[in-house]
Amino acid sequence: MAKSKKEIISIQSVSKIYNLGETVVKALDNVSLSIYDNDYISIMGPSGSGKSTLMNIIGCLDVPSKGKYKFKNELISEMDDNQLANIRNEKIGFVFQTFNLLPKLNAMQNVEVPLIYSSLGRKERLKRAEEALYIVGLQDRMNHKPNELSGGQRQRVAIARALVNKPSIILADEPTGNLDSKSGNEILKFFSKLHKDGNTIIMVTHEESVAKLSKRRIDIFDGKIARDE
Amino acid sequence: MEKLPEMNNFFKNIIIGLFSVRSNLTRVILTASGLTIGIFTVSIVSAAVSSIDKEFARSMDYYGNDKVYVGTWPWSFDFDWWKYRNRPKIEESSLEYITQYSEYVTDVSIKKNSWTKATYGNKASWLQLNGVYPSYQDMLSGTKIVNGRFFSQNEWNLQRRVIIVGASVRDGFFQGKNPIGKKIRLNNVTFEIIGELKKQGIGMVPGGSLDNLVIMPSTTFERILTRWGFDELVLQTRPEDIPLAKEEVGMIMRVARKIPPGIDDNFAVNSADAYMEDFNFLKNSIAGMGFLVTGISLVVSAIGIMNVMFVSVRERTREIGLRKAMGATNFNILTQFLSEAVAIAIIGGSVGIVLIRLTVFGLASFPIPNFNGATLPISFDLILVFYTFAICVIIGILAGLIPARAAANLNPIDALRDE
Repeated sequence: MAKSKKEIISIQSVSKIYNLGETVVKALDNVSLSIYDNDYISIMGPSGSGKSTLMNIIGCLDVPSKGKYKFKNELISEMDDNQLANIRNEKIGFVFQTFNLLPKLNAMQNVEVPLIYSSLGRKERLKRAEEALYIVGLQDRMNHKPNELSGGQRQRVAIARALVNKPSIILADEPTGNLDSKSGNEILKFFSKLHKDGNTIIMVTHEESVAKLSKRRIDIFDGKIARDE
Repeated sequence: MEKLPEMNNFFKNIIIGLFSVRSNLTRVILTASGLTIGIFTVSIVSAAVSSIDKEFARSMDYYGNDKVYVGTWPWSFDFDWWKYRNRPKIEESSLEYITQYSEYVTDVSIKKNSWTKATYGNKASWLQLNGVYPSYQDMLSGTKIVNGRFFSQNEWNLQRRVIIVGASVRDGFFQGKNPIGKKIRLNNVTFEIIGELKKQGIGMVPGGSLDNLVIMPSTTFERILTRWGFDELVLQTRPEDIPLAKEEVGMIMRVARKIPPGIDDNFAVNSADAYMEDFNFLKNSIAGMGFLVTGISLVVSAIGIMNVMFVSVRERTREIGLRKAMGATNFNILTQFLSEAVAIAIIGGSVGIVLIRLTVFGLASFPIPNFNGATLPISFDLILVFYTFAICVIIGILAGLIPARAAANLNPIDALRDE
């Protein structure tokens, strides 16, 4: 990890505490972490380790109970719902295990969804959505609905949707978990390509083979970072 | 990056909402039908009320807002007929007293009423007959002569068989051709048509159509058609003098009839404004009942929409989570679901508008039997469309607010995890 790289995310002594009535669960316990431009990180850990919580905080879906979270020098941990939504819209691209495409929209319209919540006109939206689908190689499947696409193609639509707003980071939560190994490998190759093209990728996985492809590996255990290399 | 004006987002979300509606069409149509019924009822009631108003204005025109009528029966929706049936007939001689003593009455006429069979060639029809003075020409109010002339004093003196006819005579006997100079038979006596009255259409006045009318000199009427009927006195005054004139005429009538103090009147002094009061009561009763029924159906349909919206939010929890992850704000989600509720309401309302339009159209193309081609007086106002959309938008927002707030306040993490 080269020190000269630009820091995008700075997490300082962040804790996330859930108060479940009588028991208090520390999902994250005093975690500090820096993520740099063009990182390719895999986050690993058993279920309940806190990796999802860390993911949600990085993705600005949740705010820490304690500690500071800075995204490009903006203090996320102090933001309200609308500001968080704005950050998610402009800075973060999400890829989910279950694709989460809207079944009644076609590929193009699915990719367009994040743009609807930003300040772009219709023409620009369509242009960008088309570009994103071109990047993932689905330019000839733009009018297909999700149920007319294979699993791998669906995930590529989801990746196009994550890329369409030109985000600072791409957050992928078990992106190959619902795919057969052939499609999974294609997707992973694609992530490597995105990384080479300069994107910052953070991927949650529990598969060693998947983690090996990344450039940096973080293991979470009991709400703490057990390994970061 | 610069933030959008909220309004722009709002319209975007309305479009998103309309698209979501399309995908659940059956459910939307079923839900919206409640509102259709509500809008249909409210439109029918308002159409009926406004039609009553219009018709009443026409009827008022017929009776005039500047006339007092003295008759046996009061003009009201009063069914105490036993109180009136033994009253003496109105005497023409009372007019002399009124002319002599009244300060407010400027002109008088008798109005003898009867019905008779009229024939022309092999055509026959029943017509309402009025026998009046020549002075009645100036007391015709809205029933102006549009063709020909009124009868003269001389014709009245000589009991000439001349008549002024309503528009239905032209249509019924002469296929719309000019009836002036033609002769028709009333009660088997030949009369010459010298004048024609303006077409009135169906009216909400006793006697139904105002066009089934024949006016002739009261002297002729007496000589030829005395078998049955009733007499009224028609008294001209000024609109602002109506109340005083009525009171004064009542007193003069008591003197003319030598009614001792303490004994009730055995006649009725009427005017169109009193008739209007009764009429307004009827109108308000119709409107009150109609709007009550409508109000209930609107509340029920609002609950229906709310219910469907809750189901929709529940079904689309993951979508809400996803949209939030993609950058939708709480306000975006709120407007998305609100506009969906409004869209459902507008669909229901639009179907209602189409139904009411068809109903009005249908009523207009089926004449009421025996009314000379007249149809039920119901009209369709464009303002109804405006009100309907206003009601739909309000109901949509009210019904959608709670489910839409529930959707907007969902936590994106929990929503995304929803199975």
